[in-house]
Amino acid sequence: MAPKDYLAEKEKCKKFLQEFYSEDDNGKKVFKYGAQLVTLAHREQVALQLELDDVAEEDPELVESICENTKRYTGLFADAIHELLPEYREKEVVAKDSLDVYIEHRLMMEQRGRDPAETRNPQNQYPAELMRRFELYFKPPTTSKPKVVRDVRADSIGQLVTVRGIVTRATEVKPMMAVATYTCDQCGAETYQPIQSPTFMPLIMCPSQECVTNRSGGRLYLQTRGSKFVKFQELRIQEHSDQVPVGNIPRSMTIYARGENTRVAQPGDHVAITGVFLPLLRTGFRQAVQGLLSETYLEAHSITLMNKTEDDELGTAELNEEELRQITEEDFYEKLAGSIAPEIFGHEDVKKALLLLLVGGVQQAPKGMKIRGNINICLMGDPGVAKSQLLSYIDRLAPRSQYTTGRGSSGVGLTAAVMRDPLTGEMTLEGGALVLADQGVCCIDEFDKMADADRTAIHEVMEQQTISIAKAGIMTSLNARCSILAAANPAYGRYNPRKTIEQNIQLPAALLSRFDLLWLIQDKPNAESDLRLAQHITYVHQHSRQPPTHFTPIDMKLMRRYLALCKRRQPVVPEALADYITAAYVEMRKEARVSKDTTFTSARTLLSILRLSTALARLRLVDMVEKEDVNEAMRLMEMSKDSLQADKSSASRAQRPADVIFSLLRELATEGVKGRGGSGGVVRMAEAEQRCVSRGFTPAQFQEALEEYEELNVWQVNQARTRITFV
Amino acid sequence: MPSSNDWINNPLGVVEGLFAQSNSNPGWEAKVLEYFKGQLKEKEAHSWVPSLNDVPLHYLKPNSLVKFRCLIQDMFDPEFYMGVYETVDASTKAKVLRCGKYKDVTESGVDLNSRNMVTSERQTFYCVPIPGETPWAKEISFLSTVPHSYARSSQARVVPSTSYVPSRQKRSYEEDDEMDTQPQKQRDPHTELHGSVDSKRQETEASSSQTLLPSSTSSHLDLNFPLPGERGPACLVKVYEDLDSFKLNDTLEVYGILSVNPLLSVLGEEKETSALLLDPTETMETPEEQRAHDPPASLVPRLHMLYARPLKHNNPLLPCGSTEEQSAFVSSFLVEMASVRAELLAYLTHVLLGDGLAAEYLLLHLISSVYARRDVLPLGKFALNLSGCPPNSSYTERLYQIIQDLVPCSYRLSMSLHNMNSLRLVPKKDYVANRLVSGALQLARNTSLVLDETQLEQGQLDASGVRNITALGNLISWQKVDYDFNYHQMEFPCNINVLITSEGRSLLPSDCLVPLQPLVMPPNLEEYLNTIHLTSQKNKFRVYLSLARTLDYSISDEVTKAVEDDFVDMRKDDPQSVTAEDLHRMLVVARLLSLSLGQTALSPEGWMRAKHIDILRRSRSQPQKSFNGNEP
Repeated sequence: MAPKDYLAEKEKCKKFLQEFYSEDDNGKKVFKYGAQLVTLAHREQVALQLELDDVAEEDPELVESICENTKRYTGLFADAIHELLPEYREKEVVAKDSLDVYIEHRLMMEQRGRDPAETRNPQNQYPAELMRRFELYFKPPTTSKPKVVRDVRADSIGQLVTVRGIVTRATEVKPMMAVATYTCDQCGAETYQPIQSPTFMPLIMCPSQECVTNRSGGRLYLQTRGSKFVKFQELRIQEHSDQVPVGNIPRSMTIYARGENTRVAQPGDHVAITGVFLPLLRTGFRQAVQGLLSETYLEAHSITLMNKTEDDELGTAELNEEELRQITEEDFYEKLAGSIAPEIFGHEDVKKALLLLLVGGVQQAPKGMKIRGNINICLMGDPGVAKSQLLSYIDRLAPRSQYTTGRGSSGVGLTAAVMRDPLTGEMTLEGGALVLADQGVCCIDEFDKMADADRTAIHEVMEQQTISIAKAGIMTSLNARCSILAAANPAYGRYNPRKTIEQNIQLPAALLSRFDLLWLIQDKPNAESDLRLAQHITYVHQHSRQPPTHFTPIDMKLMRRYLALCKRRQPVVPEALADYITAAYVEMRKEARVSKDTTFTSARTLLSILRLSTALARLRLVDMVEKEDVNEAMRLMEMSKDSLQADKSSASRAQRPADVIFSLLRELATEGVKGRGGSGGVVRMAEAEQRCVSRGFTPAQFQEALEEYEELNVWQVNQARTRITFV
Repeated sequence: MPSSNDWINNPLGVVEGLFAQSNSNPGWEAKVLEYFKGQLKEKEAHSWVPSLNDVPLHYLKPNSLVKFRCLIQDMFDPEFYMGVYETVDASTKAKVLRCGKYKDVTESGVDLNSRNMVTSERQTFYCVPIPGETPWAKEISFLSTVPHSYARSSQARVVPSTSYVPSRQKRSYEEDDEMDTQPQKQRDPHTELHGSVDSKRQETEASSSQTLLPSSTSSHLDLNFPLPGERGPACLVKVYEDLDSFKLNDTLEVYGILSVNPLLSVLGEEKETSALLLDPTETMETPEEQRAHDPPASLVPRLHMLYARPLKHNNPLLPCGSTEEQSAFVSSFLVEMASVRAELLAYLTHVLLGDGLAAEYLLLHLISSVYARRDVLPLGKFALNLSGCPPNSSYTERLYQIIQDLVPCSYRLSMSLHNMNSLRLVPKKDYVANRLVSGALQLARNTSLVLDETQLEQGQLDASGVRNITALGNLISWQKVDYDFNYHQMEFPCNINVLITSEGRSLLPSDCLVPLQPLVMPPNLEEYLNTIHLTSQKNKFRVYLSLARTLDYSISDEVTKAVEDDFVDMRKDDPQSVTAEDLHRMLVVARLLSLSLGQTALSPEGWMRAKHIDILRRSRSQPQKSFNGNEP
C-alpha cells in the first residue's frame, strides 16, 4: 500500500474549508466554515466543530480516512486552518490575554530577525501548537451508530468512535501543559517543547546556536506565562445497564476532555461521547516495566448530555416498517394489552384498560377550562390477585412514572412538602410522587391507607391536575398532570358485594367518582378459566417455557416507542358521533336510576367515555374517533361495572347472554315505536348490534342469540340481514 | 514434544515452543488450548495439577500450571497487551519475535516501534474461593488431589520446607469450624497447635508484605470475600478466550499459569508513590483503584487461564471426568437411591425431633434448584420456612451444622437486629476503587442459605436494615439480587436455597411454611443432638443430595392432563383455598418428590403423594394462617 500523500490531503482539507457552502432559502450561498473562520480569526470563537456530514457531501473518501485515522487528520485540519486564518482576518484583533500578546511579539520578532537562509534549530522554532488559539473537533457522521462500551475493542484504536454511558467520575478541571516555553539564563533565547504525553522531562541545557558554540552552559528556566496550557478533565463513563448482557458487570472507559469539552458532564449524567480511542503513551521506566500492557482512553471530540428516557424513546428514532407491521397486524389491540404483564394470567379487560391509561386521552382546554385527558384507574380486589404486580409492571413500562404506596415512606408524601435545606437553612419546596410523575403515571399502592393530608390534595390532582401549596409562606401551584393508577384493598379483608364501594374501600364517593374506571379483581372459581390456568401452569413446569399457543409478548422497548408514537396523535370526536354518545349517556343514566347502581353515573362518566374513546383512536394511530372506539369504551365501562356487582348473576336468576340480548332488542323495538312512530316491532340490524356491543356482548354472542330466537320464531330476519321484525 | 511433566512445570515453555513452531501463523493459539485440553483429558490428569485452594502460595512454583476452584466475584475492564512483540538483543542486535500471551512481564529490550507488534485484548476476573464451601468439601478435595501431586511433582517442584505438612491446611477448617461451632472445638490439640503457629506465620508474611507498601495502605488489604470470616487466596484470573461465556458468580475450576512476579508488586508501589508526588495525570487510576486492581502479587496472585471447567456443583465426591464416567456413576447410584433416601429421611426425622413431615420437606428443600426462568418467575425454587423452632437454644445452630455437614456450600445468616443493620448483604459498586464490593448474598449456585430468625429481637431497623430485609425478600421470591450500582441497580439472577428457621411465621416470604411438630421433647436438646452421629452414611447422603439435583425430569402429557383436571376439581370444591400459587408449589413438590426417589418422570402416584403431603402440611398451618389474611 502506497503511503498517503498527506500534503495533498491537507490541500483537500483547505479546499473543503474554503469552499464548502450550503444554500439558504433565498438560494444565497452560505459559507458555513468560512464564516466561522472569520470569527476564529477574531478570537470570538474558540471551538470549531467540523461536521463530517458536510465533508461527506464533498468527499466521502475523506470522511472514511478521517474516521480511520482521526488523530492525524485533526492535525491536518488544524494546520490547514492555521494557514488559512490570516486570510480571514478582517480587522485588527484586540489582545485578549497575555498569551495573545506573547504570540504577537513572537511573530513580530520572527519577521524582524528573519534570515531566510538560516535554518533554525527546530526547538527554537515556534511550535504550531503554541500559536494556535482555536480548537478543532469532529462531529461524527449521522450514519455512524453509537457503540456500546464493550464493543470498543483493540481494532478501534485510532478511530473515531461514539459511545454512550453514564458518567461515574469526573475530576476537577486542571490546566495541562501543551507547550512548555523556556528561556536561557545566558543567551536569553526561548526554547519550546511541545508535550504529548502525560509526563515530560524538562529541558535543562540551552540548545540555541549561541550557547552551543560558546559552550556557555546556559540553563533553561520554565516560563509559566509563555507556556500554553489547556483545560483538562478526566471522566470515567460506564455502560448503561440495558447494554450489559445478563450476568456481566458493566464496563467503564476513561475519557480525556480538553478545552471546551471540559465541565460539560457531571457524575450521574447520561452522555454520548464522540472521540478518538487511543492508547496511553508512557515514557521511561514505566514503559519498560509495564511492557505488555497499554492503557487506553478516549480523547473526546464532543460530549452531549442526554436525557435517559428521551434517549431510550426517541434516540432510536421512528419505528421502522417491520416493527410497525409487527404491532399493527390483526388483533393488535388484544396483543398490546396481552403484552402488559404477560406473566399474569387472564384479566384481559383490566389489561386493556391499563393500556388505554398508558396512551391517555386527549386533553381539552376550551376557553380556559381544562378537561384532563389522563385516565385514572383504580384496581380493587381481594389480597393476592396480582394488583401490585400489575402496578409495578406499569411502573416499569411507562417512560415516566412514580411508584409509591399510600403511606409514602418519605416525609414528602404524595404531594409536596416544604423542607428546610440542612446546609443553607433555606426553605425549599420538594415535590412528592405526584409532582414527580408529571406527564407520566403515578402508581399508588395501598390507596386506601393514604394519609389524610394527601387525600384532600389528591382531589385536586385528579381533576385539575395541579397541586396548590400554601405552606410556610410559600404559595404556589405545581403541575401534576399525571394519570393515577391506584390499588386498594377492601376494608374487611375481602370484598363484600352486598355493600357499596364506599363501604368496601372506605374512600369517599367524591374521590371514587374521579376514577374513570374502577375494577374489582376477584378470584372467582370458574371451571373453564381454571382449566386454562392449570394448563398454563403445568405447561410451564413441563417444558419450562411459555406455552406455544400463547403469543409472544411485544418487547417492552418496542411497546414504549409505539406508545410514544400514539401520544403524538390528537384525535377529535366528529360531529356525527355526538348524537350517538349523548344517546348512550342518557341511556346509561336511565339505567343507573332504575337498577340502583352501586356506582355513580354522572357527567364524569360521559367525560370518561370520551377520554377512553380518544385513547382508543390514538392507539389505532388515527385522527378521528370512530363508532367502534366509543363502543369499546362503553364496553369497558360496562365490564368494570360488572366486575363490581360481583355476584349479581348468582343472586338473581342466571341470565344467558342470549336472553339479555333479546330483552335489549325488544326494548329497542318498543322505543322505535314510540320515538319515530314507525312500523311496530322492526329493529335495524346495525342499530341492534351496536346496542348489544355497547352493553358488553361480543358480536358472536349477538349472532348466536339472533339465530336462536329466529329458530324459536320470535322474530324474523330479512334476506339481506339488515332488519329484525318481531312477530 | 515436551516431556510428560513439562506441561505442568513449565507451561510457558510449551506455549513458546508451539508459538515458535507456528511461524506467526494465527492458528497457534488454538493449538495451545488444544494441547492443554488434551493433556487434562487424561485420566487423573486433573489431580496432578496442584491446587491453589489447598497449597499455600509460597510453596507453588511460579510460572507453573495450577488449578483454582473459584467464583467470579468481579470483572474488570478489558486490557490491551502485546500479543506478539519483538525483542532486540542489546549485544547482537538480533530481533526475536516473542509471544506475550499468558505473561505479565516482558523480557528487556522490547522494540516498541516494531511493525510485527500485535495488540490483543484480555480480561481480568477477580476470583475468590467459593464462598461458604463447607469444611468437608474442602477436606475431601484436598485429600483427593494432594497425594498425587506430591508423589508426582516432588522431584520437580521446589520442595517445601519440612515444617510444611498437609495438616497445615486442616487448620483452616478447624478454625472455620470454630467460628461457627463452639462444641466441635478441640478435637485435636496437635493440629490446633500447628494451626496457631502457621497462622502466625501467615500474619507475619502478610504484615511484611505490607511494610513493603507505602503508608497509604495502612488499612488491611481487603480481599473482598463475600462472606465475613472467609479465608483463602483470591486471584486475578486473566482470560483470553471466550470472554462472553463467563458470567459473574459462575463457579469455575481454572487451569492456568501462575504468575507471582514480584515486579508486579513493585509496579504497584512505584505507581502509588508517583501518583502522590508527580503529575496527577500520570495514572488514570486513583490509589484506591490501584490497590483494588493491582494488589501485590504475593497476596493476590495472577493466573493466566488456559482452560476452565465450569462447575455445576462443588461436591468433590462426584466424579468430574468424562461424561461417560459421570453417567455410569449416576446409573450405578440410581439403584440405591431409594434406600439412601429412606436412611436420610430417618436421619433428618431424628434431627427434627421426630417430625417426619418436616423432614420430608427439608429433604425436598435440600435438593431443590432453579431449573428455568420464565420471564421473571424462577421455576423450581423452594424456599422453606421451618417455624416452631425452639427459641433461645442452640437448636437452630445445630441444625445448621447438620446441614453444613451434608451440602458442599452453605452459610448461616443469623438475623439478629445488629446483623441486619450492620451487615452488607447486597454487593455495591465502589466507583472510587472501581470494583464491586461484595456482599453476603453474592453466593455460588445452590448454596444453602440458612436464615435464623429466632435470633431476631425487638428493636428498630434502620435504613440499611430495611434494605437488607427487602433484599432477602427479593432473593426468596424472585431468586435475584439487585446489585447496587449507585446510579442504577442491576438485577443478577441467582440460585440459592433459602431455609428460614423461625418461631412463628417468618416475616420473610417463603414458598412453603412447615410448622415443626416435635414428637420427642428431650429435656436436654444439646445432648440429644450430640448423640445423633453418623459416619458411614455421610458420604452417601452427600452424593445423594448433589446428584438428585442434577437429574433430568419430565412430565408426560397424560399426567399433565390428570393434574389439570385435578386442579379444576379442587377449585370446584373449595375455590378460596387453592390458587395458582398452590398449583405452582404442588408441581414443584411433585417434581422434587419424584427426583428424590430417583424417578425422572412424574407418575400419577407421585402427584397424589405430593398432594397428600401438601394437604398434611396445610392442615398444620391452617390455624396460623387465618391471622394473616392480609396481603403480604
